[in-house]
Amino acid sequence: MESSTLDEFFGPGHSEQPLGFVLSGSLSEGLGVKLDPRYSIEHLAVGRYVVIHGHQSGRTFFGIITDIALGASNPDLTHRPPNMEQPFTLEVYLGEVAYATLHVSPMLMLDETDDQPRPIKTIPSHFSPVFEASAADVARVFGDEDDTHFYVGTPLDMETVQVNLDLERLVERSSGVFGKTGTGKSFITRTLLAGIIQSGIASSLIFDMHNDYGWTVKDESGREYKGLRQLFQDGQVSVITLDEDTSRARGSKIDGALKIGYEEIEPEDIEMLSGLLGLSEIQTGALYFLYRRLGKNWIAKLLDEDPEADDLQDMVDSGRIVAGTLGAIRRKFEAFIPRMGFLVPGAGNNAVDDIFNRLRMGTSVALEFGNYGNTLAAYMLVANYLTRRIHSRYVHQKNMAAGNKAEEPRPLVIVIEEAHKFLDPAVTSHTIFGTIARELRKYNVTLLIVDQRPSGIEDEVMSQIGTRVTCLLDNEADIRAVFSGVSGSSALREVLARLDTRQQALILGHAVPMPVVVRTRDYDQSFYATIAGDREKGVKSRKSTESLFGE
Amino acid sequence: MEAGTVIGRVTRCSTRGFAGAYPLEGETIPSFGAFCAAPYPGGGYVIGVVYDINIEDDPLARQLASLGDVPVEQILDSQNNRQIPVEFSVLNLGYQDTEGTYQTLPPRPPMTLEPIHLLPEAKLSSFTEDFSYLSTITLNPSLPVDELLIACILEAIEVRPESERKRYLIEAGRMLARILAGDLHRLEQILNKLTPSIPGNSSG
Repeated sequence: MESSTLDEFFGPGHSEQPLGFVLSGSLSEGLGVKLDPRYSIEHLAVGRYVVIHGHQSGRTFFGIITDIALGASNPDLTHRPPNMEQPFTLEVYLGEVAYATLHVSPMLMLDETDDQPRPIKTIPSHFSPVFEASAADVARVFGDEDDTHFYVGTPLDMETVQVNLDLERLVERSSGVFGKTGTGKSFITRTLLAGIIQSGIASSLIFDMHNDYGWTVKDESGREYKGLRQLFQDGQVSVITLDEDTSRARGSKIDGALKIGYEEIEPEDIEMLSGLLGLSEIQTGALYFLYRRLGKNWIAKLLDEDPEADDLQDMVDSGRIVAGTLGAIRRKFEAFIPRMGFLVPGAGNNAVDDIFNRLRMGTSVALEFGNYGNTLAAYMLVANYLTRRIHSRYVHQKNMAAGNKAEEPRPLVIVIEEAHKFLDPAVTSHTIFGTIARELRKYNVTLLIVDQRPSGIEDEVMSQIGTRVTCLLDNEADIRAVFSGVSGSSALREVLARLDTRQQALILGHAVPMPVVVRTRDYDQSFYATIAGDREKGVKSRKSTESLFGE
Repeated sequence: MEAGTVIGRVTRCSTRGFAGAYPLEGETIPSFGAFCAAPYPGGGYVIGVVYDINIEDDPLARQLASLGDVPVEQILDSQNNRQIPVEFSVLNLGYQDTEGTYQTLPPRPPMTLEPIHLLPEAKLSSFTEDFSYLSTITLNPSLPVDELLIACILEAIEVRPESERKRYLIEAGRMLARILAGDLHRLEQILNKLTPSIPGNSSG
């Protein structure tokens, strides 16, 4: 008999027959459970939840199956297997001489007097019975969906149970969505962002490299899905574009265009691109010198087609800068900057102020890159440029608020893709993104990074990523990176390696009480209707920053 | 306990086992692996299993056997009116008193000449539902353990309905697997001999 079948037939409440009993283990390594021979190992799966009734204390422990193994009471079995043509002998051997063991990672425990599970500090004793968790058990852990808990998916083989992410905890720390290409990271990210926007807990600034978030997006089969601007039509989401032509051709409804003036660019904005632009260390250092000497017109002068411009020639003649260095910088700028249509001579269009004001008012901004999304240097430049300035404004406002001279800034989540380019060990120590990741929520700004190569992200930064939503990864280094800084998570490696290629994710960290493998929620008409319906009912509530971040 | 057919009387006994003599007029000959019971002082019954049936050396039978052609009357007379009794030996597996039934050594052995009964079918079925008796048998290596295990299990399934026999065989097999996990060759030999008894199995 299978307890899952019994649960479906008889309703919630786990089977009376335990899956097995705890026979070994430790707090750090997890528990060894011998499977009752009545259960077939082939009907179990890593990632499933179990409930353990403490044999001595009456406590209930919640755990997750992280490995399944075959064992034998006599090592001779592998050398002397029984006659395979004797089904009676095989049936006798199964469960006694040859048996299955489950490795269970206990995560939470619940005393009889508790109403909320707590992280475990001990483990169940020998012979404690282990049951497959029922829908009621799982619902008890993840709670109900409400203003701050957002339904993101269902646990494996429990389609009636909702896994509700704690949005407040999600935005309290930086978080990440990881997975190899094609596993649905964009869909999951869009779902999470919909939850954040709907709740009003934070504003989001999305650097939408491949136009996946703002407006309609198509999957490989050509099926269309709504973007965030279409889900939230009452001004909660704005789409700003770098490439008006492409946005219009796509039919995107845009709320503005981003133009960055040459005068607004600083050497710090370019430094992050030095690898991509081919700037040497000396050339990168020279940028700061040029900026000091030439002032805000430095870009225009470097791009000036008049090679006899006095300022530059004077610097070369006086030996302040080597002609070769200057020449290299000019060549590289000329190869890049004029091709970027969003970079314009002069002062630009006050994009930073516009975006900052939108964010401050609670509007989330999706920055569409159009065709410029294919140029990594453009993506990094704009992301770095905007983030530095908006972060600076947040720092200023937060400091003012500390002195009671201003309101706390509204929490902000910055969404970046290809995050390993921004958080690579070589650059992260002097980029704004590394700073934001390390400073946690000190200035009410956190990151939501979307990446297929988490191993490319510096370890210290990864350890600051509070919540990790991980789709299938098959690179060992990437799998190790996802689990770095999360104690006891290495037991989940097998779980991660066995995810389906689509619509399954392992969520662990700050925003969930315990790791969970989910079949992610469908992003479809029913989702759209739910978002629209919840808005009409007024489920969303815009929380003041005092109630969210008050000390 | 409801008494079953009498198969003999106690000739000697201890708490570990007892022996009985098969009567001259006995209708039911005890068989190897048969479950039986004998009363002990205090109102209880010792329950055990026949593990040996023995006829001591008889000089007259030896003489007759050495003749080339033994008349049928002589054979029947020697078998039925024998001078030397048929003795059977019983290993104690448990006991029953007013409180219940237990698979452990009895507090007292039966007394000499007490009747030995075959265990009634209903009692045999309930007694063998607890597989501890299999472990008790294996703790007596001087006995023909493997054959006795097989005989006892076959006795136990005989008193069960057809629909129950396969379940019982498998559970008995698993108990044997726990006991004999250290000797897979021996375990497999026993299971092979039980296989023909699986309902629906063709005999081997």
